[in-house]
Amino acid sequence: MTTTTLRISGLTKSFGGVRALDGVDLTVPAGQVHALLGHNGAGKSTLIKCLGGAYPPDAGTIEVGGTSYTRLTPRASIASGVAIIFQTLSVVDALTVAENIFLGQEWTRHGRIDRRAQEEVAAGLMERVAAKCSPRDRVGDLPMGQRQLVEIAKALSRSAAVLVLDEPTAALSGAETDALAQRVEDLRTQGLAIVYVTHLLGEVERLADAVTVLRDGRVAHHATVSGRTRRELVEAIAGRPTEVVPKSPRPPAPPRLIAEDLRGPGFGPVGLSVAEGERVGLFGLIGSGRTRILETLYGRRRATAGTIRVGDRTVAPARPADALAAGIALVPADRRAQGLFPSMTAQDNALLPSVKPLSRLGVRALRSERRVFDGLATAVGLRPARSRLPAGAFSGGNQQKLVLGRWINEARHVDVLLLDEPTQGVDVGARQEIYRVVSTLAEERGTAVLFASSDPEEVVALADRCLIVARGRIVGELSGTELTEQALLSAVHAPLTAEGAA
Amino acid sequence: MTTADPALPRPRPLATGGLAVVRRNPLLVVLVAMVLIFQLTTGSFLDPANLSGIATDAATLAIVAVPLALLVISGYLDLSVGSTLALGGLVGGWLAGQHHQSPAVALLGALAAGALVGAVNGVLCCWFGLSAFIVTLGMLTAVRGLAQQLFPLPLSGFGSGFAWIGGARVAGIAAPVVIAALVLAAGALFLAFTPAGRHVFAIGVNREAAHLSGIHIRRTPFALFVATGVAAALAGAIKASVLDSAVAGTSGAGFELTVLTAVLLGGVALTGGTGSILGVLLGVLFLGGLQNGLTLLNVPTFWQQMAQGVALVAGAALACFAPRTGR
Repeated sequence: MTTTTLRISGLTKSFGGVRALDGVDLTVPAGQVHALLGHNGAGKSTLIKCLGGAYPPDAGTIEVGGTSYTRLTPRASIASGVAIIFQTLSVVDALTVAENIFLGQEWTRHGRIDRRAQEEVAAGLMERVAAKCSPRDRVGDLPMGQRQLVEIAKALSRSAAVLVLDEPTAALSGAETDALAQRVEDLRTQGLAIVYVTHLLGEVERLADAVTVLRDGRVAHHATVSGRTRRELVEAIAGRPTEVVPKSPRPPAPPRLIAEDLRGPGFGPVGLSVAEGERVGLFGLIGSGRTRILETLYGRRRATAGTIRVGDRTVAPARPADALAAGIALVPADRRAQGLFPSMTAQDNALLPSVKPLSRLGVRALRSERRVFDGLATAVGLRPARSRLPAGAFSGGNQQKLVLGRWINEARHVDVLLLDEPTQGVDVGARQEIYRVVSTLAEERGTAVLFASSDPEEVVALADRCLIVARGRIVGELSGTELTEQALLSAVHAPLTAEGAA
Repeated sequence: MTTADPALPRPRPLATGGLAVVRRNPLLVVLVAMVLIFQLTTGSFLDPANLSGIATDAATLAIVAVPLALLVISGYLDLSVGSTLALGGLVGGWLAGQHHQSPAVALLGALAAGALVGAVNGVLCCWFGLSAFIVTLGMLTAVRGLAQQLFPLPLSGFGSGFAWIGGARVAGIAAPVVIAALVLAAGALFLAFTPAGRHVFAIGVNREAAHLSGIHIRRTPFALFVATGVAAALAGAIKASVLDSAVAGTSGAGFELTVLTAVLLGGVALTGGTGSILGVLLGVLFLGGLQNGLTLLNVPTFWQQMAQGVALVAGAALACFAPRTGR
């Protein structure tokens, strides 16, 4: 089989001036498993969404089975033979396996759904993907791995030739992961072209024939996998050979934030300490517990055990307001859902927690507010520095500066700054500015900075020291010259492969 | 091909001052047109006596519309105000009429009853996280039932002291109008000049982000539920005082929908996060004027109701299809 089943060339897509995809080429012949790697925001999701017809590309073509498209609609994508299995599955829990497989393409007899025929065909498909469930099982009752197989069976029922799996093992148990790997190998043998999106190098080594790495919307690396060492793969993702930026050793400082034996749903026990003026990274994959740790420190989640101290004071934040009173502030990861007030002005956004402390006798101090806003706009490099523009009109990077500015202004006193994915959806230029602002804060005001990130480049750029998080625990620590992208990637993948081999 | 730089927002139209106010409140144009049409057709619409009648009618609407608007801006809703209004009028009238209490005591009793209803709404919606629509819809029925249980017979004969609440004149202006003006001013000042005013918007736009910014996302809306209950009871006391009668079964029936119509016509979004007190004032004046003008023209009541409904839907359609300008 030498017919190319999927050929993407020159695919380009911008969102409001930010190039999410910039001339991406990707060729996946039938019978190949092609791993797609890259950091968050590298363009993987955008590529998949263009392929699925959710986004129209600005330029470039997508060729499936000999037909070339400049843009696809979701229907055209399915009709051309593309099937995408997203992380969040699109099966309907309330329906049976067979009903799910035939959803939208029901077989009818005399105007009624022909259940028996559907179930027979479904049984055949379930056998093909080696699923253990019956066509009559309700999908909501099935474990995650089986639900995923139902979705793959649904794709096969629509005679899919190109199968895209978006981090398919993220929600699976160890045994289910092995089973899925077996299915992927079967489907390759059956001649499907498979795009396999993952963060896990173990899976790449086991399954992939070729690998493409995206960085900042471009193909940063493309290679066949066979015979490569993990080190070479890591370097391919990191993009360049080990580049050691010597960090000046920090003079010892008293600890500002201390968490001991901290536990909560999905993580723990965790012990960590951040010194005055220190920038500590929490590096781990999605679902490793990074966000939970930060949210617990900030009082958005309740700790089930453990102590948190800021300086000498023990705090048990039950809500963010408590954490703020103790000098802990958080910049959340999901800006749209947790950070921004799009229809409110830039000034209202940046000063929301400061309006009350600035007010006198319950009346807003409008002049002080303006002065504080102007100060913080300069400090974070807000562009345009217009106080009355709605926050929704700013670029992602400048929106993030507004959220960050909430805690970096003269009306607030923050001892401990927590940041979750501080530059998610932020363009490269603004990213550097945010690093500069955070670093300045640590150096000049002695703020203890603790940030979570899944981007090794960011950790190396921003952290003095990095804690490796996996399965809700801290499994390692890197600092000084050991703190490199390669070391981070190896560290985070080590425990997973060890478990996979066991 | 040029792509817009996201850092540079679209230039805003060069409208400032008065023009910007009109652009943000298209209802103003409609209101002026309506006044002109009614004046031309009736010839008496703009007579001082008629205007003062409109103001008195619109006053109770405005008193409840202001706190309700704040509540809607913060992302909640109160449908129970019609029944709370009835309860307030009954409690006030009962204290004044049966128990010969002073108007101050009667009024305080009425307001306390309203605060209680508001507090129940507030606790269920803000702390237990129940849907405000469901809770206050239930309270609309429950409070009406309670009122009928407590006051099975119509009340009247509240005495001259109680009549003073709705009938007094301050510098020649009817007391309800003065109260409404104070409530409107307080609402506008609250939104513009207090920290809590910012919090109301923030909670309505993005509750989770407000929570993570350290804002009390329960306390503020709870206070607004209580304020809405108090305002409804106050409106009820005023109505009972003016009419010298309060009937558990019919007082304030349908009032909740009229108030909500005024608030929504005034540009307050049911989804929360947007709205202004000026808009609410325009909404109240529009509905009051519409009702009065149609009555002057001897239009039957059911046509008036239809006009009110059509106005609301037309307003929503205009807001939906008009090109988005400004914020």
